[in-house]
Amino acid sequence: MIGSVLLQAEALDISFKPVGAAIVFLMMASFLVIGYLFKVADAEGMWVAGRGIGNIENGMAIGANWMSAASYLGLAGLVALAGFYGLAFIVGWTTGYFILLIFLAAQMRRFGKYTAPDFVGDRFNSDVARAIAAFTTLLIAYVYSVGQASGMGLVGQYVFGLPFEPMVIVMMAITVGYLALSGMLGATKNMAVQYVILIVAFLAGVYVVGFTGDYSTILPQIEYGALIGELNTQFSEPFVNSSPWLWAGTAFSLIVGTCGLPHVLVRFYTVENERTARWSTVSGLFFIMLLYWAAPAMAAFGVDLFEKTQGADAYAATGGMSGPEGDVIVVLAAQFSQLPDWFVGFVAAGAMAAAIATTAGLFITASSAVAHDIYTELINDDATQRQQVLIGRATIIAIGALVTITALDPPALIGELVALAFSLAGIVLFPMFFLGLWWENTNRQGALAGMIVGLALWITATVNSVVVAEPFSPLLQQWVPAIGAALIGTPLVFIVTIAVSLATPEPPEQTKKVVRQCHSPEPMGQQQSAEDVVATDGGHETPADD
Amino acid sequence: MARHTDRSDSASDASGSPETGSRQDAPDGTVRADGGTADAATQEQSVDYLDTRINILSPSTPFMSDHLRVVWATFVAWVIVVWGPFLATVAAPETMTSQLPVIGFPAHYFLIAFVAPTGSLLLAAVYARQRDKLDEKYGIDPTAVVDQDEGGSGEAAATDGGVDQ
Repeated sequence: MIGSVLLQAEALDISFKPVGAAIVFLMMASFLVIGYLFKVADAEGMWVAGRGIGNIENGMAIGANWMSAASYLGLAGLVALAGFYGLAFIVGWTTGYFILLIFLAAQMRRFGKYTAPDFVGDRFNSDVARAIAAFTTLLIAYVYSVGQASGMGLVGQYVFGLPFEPMVIVMMAITVGYLALSGMLGATKNMAVQYVILIVAFLAGVYVVGFTGDYSTILPQIEYGALIGELNTQFSEPFVNSSPWLWAGTAFSLIVGTCGLPHVLVRFYTVENERTARWSTVSGLFFIMLLYWAAPAMAAFGVDLFEKTQGADAYAATGGMSGPEGDVIVVLAAQFSQLPDWFVGFVAAGAMAAAIATTAGLFITASSAVAHDIYTELINDDATQRQQVLIGRATIIAIGALVTITALDPPALIGELVALAFSLAGIVLFPMFFLGLWWENTNRQGALAGMIVGLALWITATVNSVVVAEPFSPLLQQWVPAIGAALIGTPLVFIVTIAVSLATPEPPEQTKKVVRQCHSPEPMGQQQSAEDVVATDGGHETPADD
Repeated sequence: MARHTDRSDSASDASGSPETGSRQDAPDGTVRADGGTADAATQEQSVDYLDTRINILSPSTPFMSDHLRVVWATFVAWVIVVWGPFLATVAAPETMTSQLPVIGFPAHYFLIAFVAPTGSLLLAAVYARQRDKLDEKYGIDPTAVVDQDEGGSGEAAATDGGVDQ
């Protein structure tokens, strides 16, 4: 699937559209104004929004965080371009929430740490483990954001008519400027607003395209089924675009990645209590599903419209749909339907909102990884809140610049880039969370060994599949494709972590008690972490540190 | 494994008697025998959750066994709903790609694109509901807690504390 990617979607009407631009401008301006109103200089507020958010609002924030350019654009693009293989992304990006819910959400809430590196560092009593987790978090935010930037650049072209490269730079500058002004409290409020805007924009697109094209009436999510028989068999025939192994690997990576993604987990620290943590996972999944039910319908309409308007088979070897065209199929479908500029612009603006909301969450996570986990914990123990906020903002600017540079020549489709971040999270972080919470004897040595093995495996697979033009090992590419690396990687990290933990001394009693507290049914306060409870319970010695 | 089998063995006994570590005030198995709601609630008071081992394969408190029963039951259902259609498509592509009546989807497409995600959503709701019931069984009100360690924002703590107490 991954090959050289053109930078323009040929079929897209690239020109400056005043009304579309005005809609985008209004949307961006409202984000900035809300961001400004909620501007905070306080580090606590910046990271977890004071932990007082209810289940519907948090569910929407989960939805907005989740529904990036990858869901809004990339998903329909993959279903349109890769057919049945695209469904692995639908399964992977939705059903994982169930695993997150039953195994991690409430326990994580009880553990009560701000960030994924905090969890890893405190659970395994190791600053090295914390640093590895922080590095992984940064890497995830980076890879994930490259996909977003690429999406913003492609869609921005429809509205602003700029070439791809300047478009990426302008859009990223807006995102970074917005983030530099607002902390997470603002971002959280915004995210509910952004969720509503983007789901309305997306569903409006699907319904209107379905209606004007005579494809569907009230339930396009089901009605597109009848269209599948009329499309080229490549749209639905199983395993023509991927082997079953790649299909399973991709779906599995995305599922475990869902459970390991730092910017998803941070959502559970912002809720009132565990019950809210659980129900906001359920409501979050529902809000996500509103898009995922409709995305394959949009893909089917888009493929049919492409063939009708372009006079070419979408899947022909030459003259078929290109990668960028697939990536913007959601906007293209609206354009092919001869809908007015403002409407297509509205759909396009939703895609930008999706990309910005997710990038915002990722950059916040990255900035706290650096300011909190690397700078404060490792470099300067006495860092003031002001210093932390400054370091956090500098991080946002630095990662923004790095993402922009990489996105100027994106190495893969939007959905594939984002999936890479999932396979990394699924391999390195998910086993730490799962074992850390469900087996008290998981210790520092086990965690370090597991994370290092996982990181090495993911980097090797990614270099092999994505970075170099020709895989240096076709065998590795076949069995451990970067995008599906977790199918091998996650079980391997589990085995390494368990084996090393068994072969080395058990973790301190204090740490075990913290784990036990995560599984007690006794309710805990909003600002409490498991560690607080354990510390006040028996007045034991503080946990050993390395 | 050898290091802690002595304790986890007793925890995994099938009768469901609680393994609560070495504390003298731990209830013995007879209290739990009927599994009644009132008993579970009172018993919950006497279990020291900080003294019971956590291993997902051998739950050591009645609460954890009850919880894990819900977890594993819904997990198995999830595996069937999510991975069943994929495996069936690998095993029998001809049958699975046949067209469904009325909605017109090829069966595999509908089961994977629609049923698997929707099934996960429903299972998530089922789990959350069952977990709430466990709270009731053990007499827990997750909203009833005051922030003991709130020093700074006195107002928030005071308003929180007034609720449900």
